[in-house]
Amino acid sequence: MLASYMRTSRNVLKIAALWAVATLAHGQETAPGAEGVATGPTAAPIAMPPAPERHWRLGAAFGYGERSNPLIQSEDIPVIVDLDVAWFGKRWFFDNGDIGYTMFDGPRSTTSMVARLNSDRIFFGKTDTRYVNLTYVSGSPSAPAPPLLAPVEVEPPDRDYAIELGVESLLDGEWGAATLRAFHDVSGTHGGYELSAYYSRRFTAGRMSLEPTLGVSYKSAQLNDYYWGVHANEASAALPEYHAGAGFNFEGGLVANYYISRHLRLALSVNYERLADDIADSPLSEDDYVMAYFSGLAWTF
Amino acid sequence: MNSRLAGILIASALVAVFPASAADLPAARLIVKPLLCVVDRDTPGCSMTFNIRWKSEAAAEYCLNDSAQKAPLRCWPSVSSGTHTEKRDVTEAFIYWLGAPDGTQRVAEIKIEVLRLDSADRRRERRNRHVWDVL
Repeated sequence: MLASYMRTSRNVLKIAALWAVATLAHGQETAPGAEGVATGPTAAPIAMPPAPERHWRLGAAFGYGERSNPLIQSEDIPVIVDLDVAWFGKRWFFDNGDIGYTMFDGPRSTTSMVARLNSDRIFFGKTDTRYVNLTYVSGSPSAPAPPLLAPVEVEPPDRDYAIELGVESLLDGEWGAATLRAFHDVSGTHGGYELSAYYSRRFTAGRMSLEPTLGVSYKSAQLNDYYWGVHANEASAALPEYHAGAGFNFEGGLVANYYISRHLRLALSVNYERLADDIADSPLSEDDYVMAYFSGLAWTF
Repeated sequence: MNSRLAGILIASALVAVFPASAADLPAARLIVKPLLCVVDRDTPGCSMTFNIRWKSEAAAEYCLNDSAQKAPLRCWPSVSSGTHTEKRDVTEAFIYWLGAPDGTQRVAEIKIEVLRLDSADRRRERRNRHVWDVL
Protein backbone atom coordinates (compact mmCIF):
# COMPACT_ATOMS: atom_id res chain seq x y z
CA MET A 1 0.00 0.00 0.00
CA LEU A 2 2.83 2.32 0.93
CA ALA A 3 4.64 1.50 -2.30
CA SER A 4 1.49 2.20 -4.27
CA TYR A 5 1.02 5.49 -2.48
CA MET A 6 4.64 6.48 -3.05
CA ARG A 7 4.41 5.57 -6.73
CA THR A 8 1.27 7.62 -7.15
CA SER A 9 2.82 10.54 -5.28
CA ARG A 10 5.91 10.46 -7.48
CA ASN A 11 3.79 10.46 -10.62
CA VAL A 12 1.81 13.40 -9.31
CA LEU A 13 4.98 15.32 -8.53
CA LYS A 14 6.42 14.62 -11.98
CA ILE A 15 3.30 15.82 -13.71
CA ALA A 16 3.09 18.86 -11.46
CA ALA A 17 6.68 19.75 -12.29
CA LEU A 18 6.10 19.36 -16.02
CA TRP A 19 2.95 21.38 -15.77
CA ALA A 20 4.71 24.15 -13.86
CA VAL A 21 7.50 24.30 -16.44
CA ALA A 22 4.99 24.45 -19.25
CA THR A 23 3.14 27.22 -17.47
CA LEU A 24 6.29 29.27 -16.97
CA ALA A 25 7.33 28.73 -20.57
CA HIS A 26 4.01 30.08 -21.67
CA GLY A 27 4.45 33.54 -20.26
CA GLN A 28 1.55 35.88 -20.74
CA GLU A 29 3.60 38.42 -22.62
CA THR A 30 5.70 36.20 -24.82
CA ALA A 31 3.81 33.09 -25.76
CA PRO A 32 2.55 32.63 -29.31
CA GLY A 33 -0.94 32.06 -28.05
CA ALA A 34 -0.87 35.35 -26.22
CA GLU A 35 -0.19 37.35 -29.31
CA GLY A 36 -2.61 38.37 -31.98
CA VAL A 37 -1.65 38.85 -35.60
CA ALA A 38 -4.04 40.07 -38.21
CA THR A 39 -3.54 40.97 -41.81
CA GLY A 40 -5.69 42.09 -44.68
CA PRO A 41 -8.92 43.99 -44.89
CA THR A 42 -11.68 42.90 -42.54
CA ALA A 43 -15.20 43.98 -41.89
CA ALA A 44 -16.11 42.82 -38.40
CA PRO A 45 -18.74 44.69 -36.41
CA ILE A 46 -17.53 47.20 -33.86
CA ALA A 47 -19.96 46.37 -31.08
CA MET A 48 -18.75 43.63 -28.72
CA PRO A 49 -21.66 42.64 -26.49
CA PRO A 50 -20.90 39.86 -24.00
CA ALA A 51 -22.01 36.54 -25.41
CA PRO A 52 -24.92 34.96 -23.54
CA GLU A 53 -24.21 31.61 -21.90
CA ARG A 54 -25.15 28.75 -24.15
CA HIS A 55 -27.30 25.87 -22.98
CA TRP A 56 -24.68 23.33 -23.96
CA ARG A 57 -21.27 23.03 -22.39
CA LEU A 58 -18.99 20.71 -24.28
CA GLY A 59 -15.37 20.07 -23.57
CA ALA A 60 -12.65 17.49 -23.62
CA ALA A 61 -9.38 17.14 -21.77
CA PHE A 62 -6.53 15.01 -23.05
CA GLY A 63 -3.62 14.05 -20.89
CA TYR A 64 -2.83 11.45 -18.32
CA GLY A 65 -4.16 10.68 -14.91
CA GLU A 66 -5.15 7.87 -12.63
CA ARG A 67 -7.64 7.14 -9.96
CA SER A 68 -6.39 4.55 -7.50
CA ASN A 69 -8.64 1.61 -6.81
CA PRO A 70 -8.94 0.51 -3.18
CA LEU A 71 -10.60 -2.78 -4.14
CA ILE A 72 -8.42 -5.87 -3.82
CA GLN A 73 -7.13 -7.44 -7.00
CA SER A 74 -8.12 -4.48 -9.03
CA GLU A 75 -6.28 -2.11 -11.25
CA ASP A 76 -6.03 1.61 -10.88
CA ILE A 77 -8.28 3.44 -13.29
CA PRO A 78 -6.41 5.35 -15.98
CA VAL A 79 -7.85 8.63 -17.15
CA ILE A 80 -6.66 9.59 -20.62
CA VAL A 81 -9.63 11.59 -21.79
CA ASP A 82 -12.04 13.53 -19.65
CA LEU A 83 -15.17 14.51 -21.55
CA ASP A 84 -17.45 17.25 -20.35
CA VAL A 85 -21.00 17.10 -21.69
CA ALA A 86 -23.60 19.24 -19.98
CA TRP A 87 -26.82 21.04 -20.82
CA PHE A 88 -28.48 23.66 -18.64
CA GLY A 89 -32.03 24.82 -19.12
CA LYS A 90 -34.09 27.10 -16.94
CA ARG A 91 -35.14 24.21 -14.69
CA TRP A 92 -33.80 20.97 -16.11
CA PHE A 93 -30.16 20.19 -16.53
CA PHE A 94 -27.90 17.35 -17.52
CA ASP A 95 -24.36 17.36 -16.18
CA ASN A 96 -22.13 14.47 -17.18
CA GLY A 97 -24.62 11.80 -16.27
CA ASP A 98 -26.46 13.64 -13.54
CA ILE A 99 -30.00 14.75 -14.35
CA GLY A 100 -31.43 17.57 -12.32
CA TYR A 101 -34.48 19.73 -11.89
CA THR A 102 -33.96 23.08 -10.20
CA MET A 103 -36.60 23.86 -7.61
CA PHE A 104 -35.18 27.07 -6.21
CA ASP A 105 -32.72 29.57 -7.59
CA GLY A 106 -31.97 32.58 -5.45
CA PRO A 107 -29.24 35.17 -5.08
CA ARG A 108 -27.35 33.05 -2.56
CA SER A 109 -28.25 29.46 -3.38
CA THR A 110 -29.66 27.05 -5.91
CA THR A 111 -31.45 23.87 -4.90
CA SER A 112 -32.18 21.03 -7.28
CA MET A 113 -33.48 17.49 -7.31
CA VAL A 114 -30.80 15.33 -8.86
CA ALA A 115 -30.67 11.75 -10.07
CA ARG A 116 -27.26 10.15 -10.37
CA LEU A 117 -25.40 6.86 -10.41
CA ASN A 118 -23.52 5.81 -7.32
CA SER A 119 -19.79 6.35 -7.72
CA ASP A 120 -18.60 3.36 -5.64
CA ARG A 121 -19.59 0.87 -8.34
CA ILE A 122 -16.86 2.07 -10.68
CA PHE A 123 -14.21 0.40 -8.52
CA PHE A 124 -15.70 -3.01 -9.26
CA GLY A 125 -15.23 -2.74 -12.99
CA LYS A 126 -11.60 -3.80 -13.39
CA THR A 127 -11.04 -6.86 -11.23
CA ASP A 128 -8.85 -9.96 -11.54
CA THR A 129 -9.27 -13.44 -10.17
CA ARG A 130 -6.25 -14.62 -8.21
CA TYR A 131 -5.33 -17.68 -6.26
CA VAL A 132 -3.93 -17.46 -2.75
CA ASN A 133 -2.31 -19.97 -0.41
CA LEU A 134 -3.74 -20.11 3.08
CA THR A 135 -1.35 -20.89 5.92
CA TYR A 136 -1.56 -21.73 9.60
CA VAL A 137 -0.40 -19.03 11.90
CA SER A 138 3.01 -20.34 12.85
CA GLY A 139 4.26 -20.16 16.42
CA SER A 140 7.80 -19.61 15.19
CA PRO A 141 8.61 -16.70 12.92
CA SER A 142 11.65 -18.53 11.58
CA ALA A 143 9.66 -21.54 10.50
CA PRO A 144 7.41 -20.87 7.54
CA ALA A 145 4.02 -22.41 7.96
CA PRO A 146 3.04 -25.15 5.58
CA PRO A 147 0.18 -24.57 3.17
CA LEU A 148 -3.14 -25.44 4.68
CA LEU A 149 -5.05 -26.02 1.53
CA ALA A 150 -4.69 -25.94 -2.19
CA PRO A 151 -4.67 -22.43 -3.62
CA VAL A 152 -8.05 -20.80 -3.16
CA GLU A 153 -9.70 -18.74 -5.83
CA VAL A 154 -10.33 -15.18 -4.69
CA GLU A 155 -12.51 -13.11 -6.91
CA PRO A 156 -13.82 -9.69 -5.94
CA PRO A 157 -17.60 -9.86 -5.97
CA ASP A 158 -19.78 -8.12 -8.51
CA ARG A 159 -21.66 -5.04 -7.52
CA ASP A 160 -24.42 -3.21 -9.39
CA TYR A 161 -24.86 0.43 -10.16
CA ALA A 162 -27.37 2.17 -7.94
CA ILE A 163 -29.58 5.00 -9.10
CA GLU A 164 -29.72 7.59 -6.38
CA LEU A 165 -32.15 10.46 -6.08
CA GLY A 166 -31.54 13.41 -3.86
CA VAL A 167 -31.40 17.08 -3.15
CA GLU A 168 -28.46 19.29 -3.89
CA SER A 169 -27.93 22.85 -2.74
CA LEU A 170 -25.25 25.07 -4.17
CA LEU A 171 -24.31 28.14 -2.18
CA ASP A 172 -21.76 30.81 -2.92
CA GLY A 173 -20.60 34.22 -1.83
CA GLU A 174 -17.43 36.12 -1.20
CA TRP A 175 -16.42 33.37 1.19
CA GLY A 176 -16.33 30.75 -1.58
CA ALA A 177 -18.74 28.04 -2.68
CA ALA A 178 -20.36 25.15 -0.88
CA THR A 179 -22.28 22.10 -2.00
CA LEU A 180 -24.68 20.19 0.25
CA ARG A 181 -26.08 16.89 -0.94
CA ALA A 182 -28.40 14.21 0.36
CA PHE A 183 -29.01 11.16 -1.81
CA HIS A 184 -30.96 7.95 -1.35
CA ASP A 185 -30.96 4.80 -3.41
CA VAL A 186 -34.17 4.52 -5.41
CA SER A 187 -33.20 1.47 -7.45
CA GLY A 188 -33.33 -1.03 -4.61
CA THR A 189 -29.64 -1.80 -5.04
CA HIS A 190 -28.19 -0.92 -1.67
CA GLY A 191 -31.12 0.81 0.02
CA GLY A 192 -28.85 3.30 1.77
CA TYR A 193 -28.12 6.97 1.65
CA GLU A 194 -25.27 9.46 1.50
CA LEU A 195 -24.93 12.94 2.94
CA SER A 196 -22.10 15.17 1.83
CA ALA A 197 -20.75 18.69 2.10
CA TYR A 198 -18.00 20.34 0.09
CA TYR A 199 -16.32 23.68 0.28
CA SER A 200 -14.19 25.27 -2.39
CA ARG A 201 -12.78 28.63 -3.23
CA ARG A 202 -11.24 29.70 -6.50
CA PHE A 203 -8.31 32.09 -6.60
CA THR A 204 -7.59 33.77 -9.91
CA ALA A 205 -4.49 35.74 -10.81
CA GLY A 206 -3.72 36.62 -14.40
CA ARG A 207 -4.33 33.55 -16.49
CA MET A 208 -3.99 31.15 -13.58
CA SER A 209 -6.74 29.86 -11.34
CA LEU A 210 -6.37 27.62 -8.30
CA GLU A 211 -9.30 25.99 -6.61
CA PRO A 212 -8.77 23.97 -3.43
CA THR A 213 -11.64 21.81 -2.23
CA LEU A 214 -12.45 20.17 1.08
CA GLY A 215 -15.24 17.68 1.52
CA VAL A 216 -16.81 15.20 3.85
CA SER A 217 -19.40 12.55 3.10
CA TYR A 218 -21.34 10.25 5.37
CA LYS A 219 -22.38 6.94 3.90
CA SER A 220 -24.97 4.79 5.59
CA ALA A 221 -24.35 1.24 6.73
CA GLN A 222 -26.57 -0.14 3.95
CA LEU A 223 -24.59 1.65 1.28
CA ASN A 224 -21.18 0.73 2.67
CA ASP A 225 -22.18 -2.84 3.38
CA TYR A 226 -23.56 -3.44 -0.09
CA TYR A 227 -20.37 -2.29 -1.81
CA TRP A 228 -17.69 -3.09 0.76
CA GLY A 229 -19.14 -5.88 2.86
CA VAL A 230 -18.44 -9.53 2.18
CA HIS A 231 -21.88 -11.07 2.11
CA ALA A 232 -22.60 -14.52 3.49
CA ASN A 233 -22.92 -16.09 0.06
CA GLU A 234 -19.57 -14.59 -0.98
CA ALA A 235 -17.57 -15.57 2.08
CA SER A 236 -14.77 -18.09 1.84
CA ALA A 237 -11.67 -19.07 3.76
CA ALA A 238 -9.77 -16.40 1.91
CA LEU A 239 -12.52 -13.80 2.05
CA PRO A 240 -14.23 -13.88 5.44
CA GLU A 241 -17.70 -12.52 5.91
CA TYR A 242 -17.66 -8.85 6.80
CA HIS A 243 -20.31 -6.24 7.48
CA ALA A 244 -19.39 -2.63 6.84
CA GLY A 245 -21.03 0.01 8.96
CA ALA A 246 -21.68 3.67 8.35
CA GLY A 247 -18.83 6.12 8.28
CA PHE A 248 -17.33 9.35 7.10
CA ASN A 249 -15.07 9.81 4.08
CA PHE A 250 -12.90 12.93 4.03
CA GLU A 251 -11.35 14.43 0.95
CA GLY A 252 -9.22 17.30 -0.21
CA GLY A 253 -8.32 18.37 -3.69
CA LEU A 254 -6.83 21.04 -5.85
CA VAL A 255 -7.70 22.04 -9.40
CA ALA A 256 -5.35 24.37 -11.23
CA ASN A 257 -5.90 25.86 -14.64
CA TYR A 258 -3.72 28.01 -16.82
CA TYR A 259 -5.71 29.59 -19.64
CA ILE A 260 -3.80 29.67 -22.91
CA SER A 261 -6.77 31.05 -24.80
CA ARG A 262 -10.49 31.44 -24.30
CA HIS A 263 -11.00 27.79 -25.23
CA LEU A 264 -7.73 26.06 -24.34
CA ARG A 265 -6.16 25.59 -20.95
CA LEU A 266 -3.56 23.55 -19.16
CA ALA A 267 -5.28 21.66 -16.39
CA LEU A 268 -4.03 19.89 -13.31
CA SER A 269 -6.21 18.12 -10.80
CA VAL A 270 -5.27 16.25 -7.63
CA ASN A 271 -7.70 14.69 -5.19
CA TYR A 272 -7.21 12.57 -2.08
CA GLU A 273 -10.05 10.81 -0.31
CA ARG A 274 -9.63 9.07 3.04
CA LEU A 275 -12.07 6.19 3.26
CA ALA A 276 -14.16 5.51 6.32
CA ASP A 277 -12.69 2.94 8.70
CA ASP A 278 -15.51 0.53 7.98
CA ILE A 279 -14.58 0.59 4.29
CA ALA A 280 -10.84 0.50 4.88
CA ASP A 281 -11.14 -2.47 7.26
CA SER A 282 -13.09 -4.55 4.76
CA PRO A 283 -11.40 -7.66 3.33
CA LEU A 284 -12.34 -6.16 -0.04
CA SER A 285 -10.17 -3.07 0.56
CA GLU A 286 -6.45 -3.01 0.20
CA ASP A 287 -6.11 0.76 0.58
CA ASP A 288 -7.71 3.19 2.97
CA TYR A 289 -7.67 6.00 0.45
CA VAL A 290 -8.46 6.93 -3.14
CA MET A 291 -5.95 9.11 -4.88
CA ALA A 292 -6.74 10.73 -8.20
CA TYR A 293 -4.76 13.02 -10.40
CA PHE A 294 -4.88 14.29 -13.94
CA SER A 295 -2.82 16.66 -16.02
CA GLY A 296 -3.43 17.65 -19.58
CA LEU A 297 -4.81 20.09 -22.07
CA ALA A 298 -8.49 20.89 -21.83
CA TRP A 299 -10.56 22.34 -24.60
CA THR A 300 -13.95 23.96 -24.01
CA PHE A 301 -16.06 24.50 -27.09
CA MET B 1 -27.39 56.37 -73.43
CA ASN B 2 -26.03 59.88 -73.07
CA SER B 3 -26.55 59.89 -69.33
CA ARG B 4 -24.70 56.56 -69.03
CA LEU B 5 -21.78 57.96 -70.99
CA ALA B 6 -21.75 61.05 -68.81
CA GLY B 7 -21.64 58.88 -65.71
CA ILE B 8 -18.64 56.96 -66.97
CA LEU B 9 -16.83 60.20 -67.80
CA ILE B 10 -17.51 61.69 -64.37
CA ALA B 11 -16.32 58.52 -62.65
CA SER B 12 -13.14 58.47 -64.71
CA ALA B 13 -12.51 62.08 -63.85
CA LEU B 14 -12.91 61.41 -60.12
CA VAL B 15 -10.46 58.53 -60.26
CA ALA B 16 -7.98 60.77 -62.02
CA VAL B 17 -8.38 63.58 -59.47
CA PHE B 18 -8.31 61.31 -56.33
CA PRO B 19 -5.98 58.46 -57.25
CA ALA B 20 -5.12 57.55 -53.61
CA SER B 21 -8.54 57.03 -52.15
CA ALA B 22 -9.16 55.15 -48.87
CA ALA B 23 -9.92 51.98 -50.80
CA ASP B 24 -6.29 51.83 -51.84
CA LEU B 25 -4.89 51.68 -48.32
CA PRO B 26 -2.18 48.96 -48.38
CA ALA B 27 -2.75 45.82 -46.38
CA ALA B 28 -1.07 45.71 -42.99
CA ARG B 29 -0.14 43.25 -40.29
CA LEU B 30 -1.26 44.03 -36.75
CA ILE B 31 0.28 42.31 -33.73
CA VAL B 32 -1.15 42.75 -30.23
CA LYS B 33 -0.27 41.06 -27.00
CA PRO B 34 -1.61 39.93 -24.65
CA LEU B 35 -4.93 38.78 -26.06
CA LEU B 36 -6.81 37.33 -23.12
CA CYS B 37 -8.22 38.72 -19.91
CA VAL B 38 -9.44 36.16 -17.34
CA VAL B 39 -12.01 37.52 -14.91
CA ASP B 40 -13.67 35.93 -11.92
CA ARG B 41 -15.91 36.89 -9.04
CA ASP B 42 -12.97 38.32 -7.09
CA THR B 43 -11.23 39.82 -10.12
CA PRO B 44 -13.86 41.58 -12.22
CA GLY B 45 -11.34 43.14 -14.58
CA CYS B 46 -7.78 42.99 -15.82
CA SER B 47 -5.22 45.74 -15.68
CA MET B 48 -3.35 45.08 -18.89
CA THR B 49 -0.50 46.67 -20.81
CA PHE B 50 -0.97 46.13 -24.53
CA ASN B 51 2.00 46.13 -26.85
CA ILE B 52 0.75 46.91 -30.33
CA ARG B 53 2.83 46.71 -33.50
CA TRP B 54 1.87 47.03 -37.10
CA LYS B 55 3.61 46.84 -40.44
CA SER B 56 2.23 47.54 -43.90
CA GLU B 57 3.28 46.73 -47.42
CA ALA B 58 3.73 50.39 -48.27
CA ALA B 59 3.85 53.71 -46.50
CA ALA B 60 0.51 55.36 -45.92
CA GLU B 61 -1.44 57.22 -43.30
CA TYR B 62 -2.84 54.78 -40.74
CA CYS B 63 -4.77 55.16 -37.53
CA LEU B 64 -5.07 52.73 -34.64
CA ASN B 65 -8.59 52.44 -33.23
CA ASP B 66 -10.48 50.36 -30.77
CA SER B 67 -14.11 49.36 -30.82
CA ALA B 68 -14.80 51.00 -27.46
CA GLN B 69 -14.50 54.56 -28.78
CA LYS B 70 -14.96 56.49 -31.99
CA ALA B 71 -11.82 58.63 -31.96
CA PRO B 72 -8.56 56.97 -33.04
CA LEU B 73 -6.08 56.07 -30.33
CA ARG B 74 -3.20 57.20 -32.44
CA CYS B 75 -2.45 58.13 -36.05
CA TRP B 76 0.77 57.90 -37.99
CA PRO B 77 1.79 59.99 -41.02
CA SER B 78 3.02 58.33 -44.16
CA VAL B 79 4.92 55.40 -42.66
CA SER B 80 4.96 51.62 -43.13
CA SER B 81 5.21 50.52 -39.50
CA GLY B 82 4.43 51.67 -35.99
CA THR B 83 4.30 50.68 -32.35
CA HIS B 84 2.05 51.72 -29.54
CA THR B 85 1.83 50.79 -25.87
CA GLU B 86 -1.34 51.25 -23.94
CA LYS B 87 -2.30 50.42 -20.38
CA ARG B 88 -5.97 49.95 -19.70
CA ASP B 89 -8.43 48.17 -17.46
CA VAL B 90 -10.38 45.56 -19.37
CA THR B 91 -13.77 44.20 -18.37
CA GLU B 92 -15.32 43.49 -21.76
CA ALA B 93 -14.03 42.14 -25.06
CA PHE B 94 -13.07 44.71 -27.66
CA ILE B 95 -11.24 45.04 -30.97
CA TYR B 96 -8.10 46.90 -31.91
CA TRP B 97 -8.14 47.80 -35.56
CA LEU B 98 -5.91 49.60 -38.01
CA GLY B 99 -7.40 51.65 -40.77
CA ALA B 100 -7.71 54.86 -42.68
CA PRO B 101 -7.85 58.14 -40.73
CA ASP B 102 -11.45 58.72 -41.76
CA GLY B 103 -12.46 55.32 -40.36
CA THR B 104 -13.87 54.11 -43.66
CA GLN B 105 -11.62 51.13 -44.06
CA ARG B 106 -10.04 48.55 -41.79
CA VAL B 107 -6.92 46.80 -42.96
CA ALA B 108 -6.33 44.64 -39.88
CA GLU B 109 -8.00 43.92 -36.56
CA ILE B 110 -7.39 41.92 -33.39
CA LYS B 111 -9.96 40.89 -30.80
CA ILE B 112 -9.08 41.11 -27.13
CA GLU B 113 -11.13 38.43 -25.43
CA VAL B 114 -12.48 38.25 -21.91
CA LEU B 115 -13.00 34.86 -20.33
CA ARG B 116 -15.39 34.78 -17.38
CA LEU B 117 -14.77 31.92 -14.99
CA ASP B 118 -17.77 32.64 -12.82
CA SER B 119 -21.27 32.15 -14.07
CA ALA B 120 -24.66 33.60 -13.30
CA ASP B 121 -25.88 30.01 -13.27
CA ARG B 122 -24.12 28.38 -10.33
CA ARG B 123 -25.15 24.93 -11.54
CA ARG B 124 -22.45 25.29 -14.18
CA GLU B 125 -19.85 25.25 -11.43
CA ARG B 126 -21.05 22.10 -9.72
CA ARG B 127 -18.62 19.25 -9.53
CA ASN B 128 -19.77 15.70 -9.71
CA ARG B 129 -17.86 12.75 -8.46
CA HIS B 130 -17.88 10.34 -11.33
CA VAL B 131 -14.61 8.63 -11.84
CA TRP B 132 -13.95 10.26 -15.18
CA ASP B 133 -14.67 13.70 -13.83
CA VAL B 134 -11.23 14.84 -12.83
CA LEU B 135 -11.47 18.52 -13.69
